[in-house]
Amino acid sequence: MPSKKRSDNKKGKQSNFAKLSIFQPNKYKFKKSCPLSVKGAPVVDYKNIRLLRKYMSENGKILPSRITNVCQKKQRELSLSIKRARNLGLI
Amino acid sequence: MNLYEHTIVARQDTSPSQIKQLTEKYSKIVEKNDGEIVKTEEWGLLNLSYIIKKNRKGSFIHFKIKGPGKIIDELEKNESIDKNLLRYMTVKVKKFDLEANYFSKKEEYEKKDYKKN
Repeated sequence: MPSKKRSDNKKGKQSNFAKLSIFQPNKYKFKKSCPLSVKGAPVVDYKNIRLLRKYMSENGKILPSRITNVCQKKQRELSLSIKRARNLGLI
Repeated sequence: MNLYEHTIVARQDTSPSQIKQLTEKYSKIVEKNDGEIVKTEEWGLLNLSYIIKKNRKGSFIHFKIKGPGKIIDELEKNESIDKNLLRYMTVKVKKFDLEANYFSKKEEYEKKDYKKN
């Protein structure tokens, strides 16, 4: 998953942007906003393993925010709660 | 008064009756030190992602505690000696979310995910 995301993002930024016309809806551009600070986003918590798994690589490393588009504040929360879950042996 | 979330991981070969004893033992300690247990959750036997003291699985018990900080000192003092436990962790929180049950609903979550795929 993560490796695919990265390549998609990089390609998407250049190619999609050129193709965009003014009349097209904005959502096809590229994801700019942080997925965790939108309204109705899930709460970052060490108990919510399902959420934390999304922001980790297959080897259990924390993904950098430049790939996942998470804002700085949420990334700090993420890394803290991932480390808590690791300590309990959940991840 | 502070709010704490306290999690204990017990060995895989503890019987259900032993787990009950553990929860009673630690809830008594909390009550002795003028604390109050808001909620206890049993997450059950979960797979550990890595082996801890030759255990592949652990049974998780989760407390939500309201009270002074002395409780935590007392709890952790007792837990560090306890041979039935693998890990313990306390987190100080500002608010409890009593609605979210990440572990009991786990199967339902998985089903929803499969449907989407």
